[in-house]
Amino acid sequence: MEKVLEVKNLAVSFKTFFGEVEAVRDISFDVGRSETVAIVGESGCGKSVTANSIMQLLPMPPAFFKGGEILFNGDNLLKRSEKEIQAIRGNQISMVFQDPMTSLNPTMKIGKQIVEGLVKHQKLSTEEAKKKAIEMLNLVAVPQPEKRINQYPHEFSGGMRQRVMIALAMVSTPQLLIADEPTTALDVTVQAQILELMKEIQKKLNMSIILITHDLGIVADMSDKVIVMYAGQILEEGLTEEIFENTKHPYTRKLLASVPRLDMSRDEPLHSIEGTPPDLYIPPKGCSFYDRCEYAMKICKSHMPDFESHSSTHKSRCWLNHPMAQANEGRNS
Amino acid sequence: MAEPLISARNIKKYFDVGEGMLKAVDGISFDIYPGETFGLVGESGCGKSTAGRTIIRLYDPTEGELIFNGKNIYDLSHREMQEVRRNFQMIFQDPYASLNPRMTVEEIVAEPLDIHKAYKNHEERKARVIELLELVGLNEEHAMRFPHEFSGGQRQRIGIARALALNPKFIVCDEPISALDVSIQAQVVNLLKDLQEKLGLTYMFIAHDLSMVRYISDRVGVMYLGHMMELAKSEELYDNPIHPYTRALLSAIPIPNPEIQRSRKRIMLEGDVPSPINPKPGCRFVDRCSYAVDKCRKETPVFEEIKPNHFVACHRAREI
Repeated sequence: MEKVLEVKNLAVSFKTFFGEVEAVRDISFDVGRSETVAIVGESGCGKSVTANSIMQLLPMPPAFFKGGEILFNGDNLLKRSEKEIQAIRGNQISMVFQDPMTSLNPTMKIGKQIVEGLVKHQKLSTEEAKKKAIEMLNLVAVPQPEKRINQYPHEFSGGMRQRVMIALAMVSTPQLLIADEPTTALDVTVQAQILELMKEIQKKLNMSIILITHDLGIVADMSDKVIVMYAGQILEEGLTEEIFENTKHPYTRKLLASVPRLDMSRDEPLHSIEGTPPDLYIPPKGCSFYDRCEYAMKICKSHMPDFESHSSTHKSRCWLNHPMAQANEGRNS
Repeated sequence: MAEPLISARNIKKYFDVGEGMLKAVDGISFDIYPGETFGLVGESGCGKSTAGRTIIRLYDPTEGELIFNGKNIYDLSHREMQEVRRNFQMIFQDPYASLNPRMTVEEIVAEPLDIHKAYKNHEERKARVIELLELVGLNEEHAMRFPHEFSGGQRQRIGIARALALNPKFIVCDEPISALDVSIQAQVVNLLKDLQEKLGLTYMFIAHDLSMVRYISDRVGVMYLGHMMELAKSEELYDNPIHPYTRALLSAIPIPNPEIQRSRKRIMLEGDVPSPINPKPGCRFVDRCSYAVDKCRKETPVFEEIKPNHFVACHRAREI
């Protein structure tokens, strides 16, 4: 498959008063054309920092790149100037943010917010841009777009605002869409509408999507490939079926067991993950999941394992999957 | 079945918003039995939180009765209410906003004890606070700290300890886990279940996460625009939903299993939830319902028992 985006050994840190927070620690993955890649993990695992790094939306300082490359169509984005990035951002790579209530400008009419990008990136005249804006709102199923473009964000409901956000992101027919928790603020019935819409548009435009979410149901619904992040690192990566049916990392397994399913008995206990993720001021030397893992062994405390491949598409970082560790299970054995 | 712990009868709560009456809760009735968990689900703006708050009289109702121990608590004076209120507690959604940042954990947990003068001396107060903290999985060391020193899950535990301080019978949990991470959600839900078993608590569990509500609740009510649409035992509601709205709602939950999720047929609802300000007569769901007939626009359907213990408010409940 043709690769649209390749992230290689990316490391991002934040300088703070107390020291350096290593938010993203040496991650690599790629996104193919018209592929949907889901990044899952708990808050603070670095998934949003990864997304914002690709878009180069991190405030610098305090954030800084410690290393790695982000190749977009083979071109390293980290080497580009801010001006060159501006030509790509919102044009070839777009982003849908989590909160539709705060990511639209409340003092600007909806139409103008969409037109702004078109005039800037595609050098359209205001008239043409307006026509295109109406077309886009139609595409995302906002009723009466001719009337709606002259309204302000507060006149839209949450679901409608998120549609506008998607229209804004799609208007320049990007090759890559980064959706950071696009439906977290929405109700389930509206969420279903928005996800369906994203799938449709993806098909039409041959677009790739990076979907950041903590809802494993949405992952099962939308993604081709899943990346499981924890404490700034990737712990497991694989095709959606491989992650759900042939789970290899204890953290992924725990994550899957901690959400109630509609088909489970109510007497079955819910498996919580005790404890909290490690502090990234002083990232642990060994496996970052060590403190919360029921299978932790001595070696896990001192050494982070390398990736072990389970298939050409599936890999995980856990000593349990190391060929020499198979016989030894159980804490500190 | 046992006597209900509380019986809500035709509870209404309207807010005057200038442009008309916002009918947040518009005549809902149900019973909650001792020791059970009653789940209340619905989309944002459906009135579920207002219902929860009106029931424990944090809001004064516009109309209706709430029978507790044979008395209508809405008739009680302020003084009498204070006595009764010991039995009702609430756990709030946002563990960051519901704890006073300038109070220590001990002060927060002891506040209900102070208000109700529930201890004889300082030692007894301290002992009770420690007992409560241990009950929710915290310990004595935490008592002198401030809320900002805790993670979201721990803060929610502090909120739970505070709610348990006066040995309540009934706790309204208003979205207690929606602000938490999935792995932490399970911790808090398991804690709530344990406490229920240990202390014989009765919960009203308000949430929009339908799979979690199914898991924790014995019976579940579905609200839409201030009306109760359907109410049944948890398994029954999820396996055999009758109301078209409940069906659409359930089919919209993404299931964390790619094989099942991708082969499911979803019922897509068109449009958004209409405004609850001056709602039209008739069924509240009529504009988005694919089964709607003329009658649905004219008459508000009665909330009736279609099957044993399965209540539905829909004119066409028996045919669809």
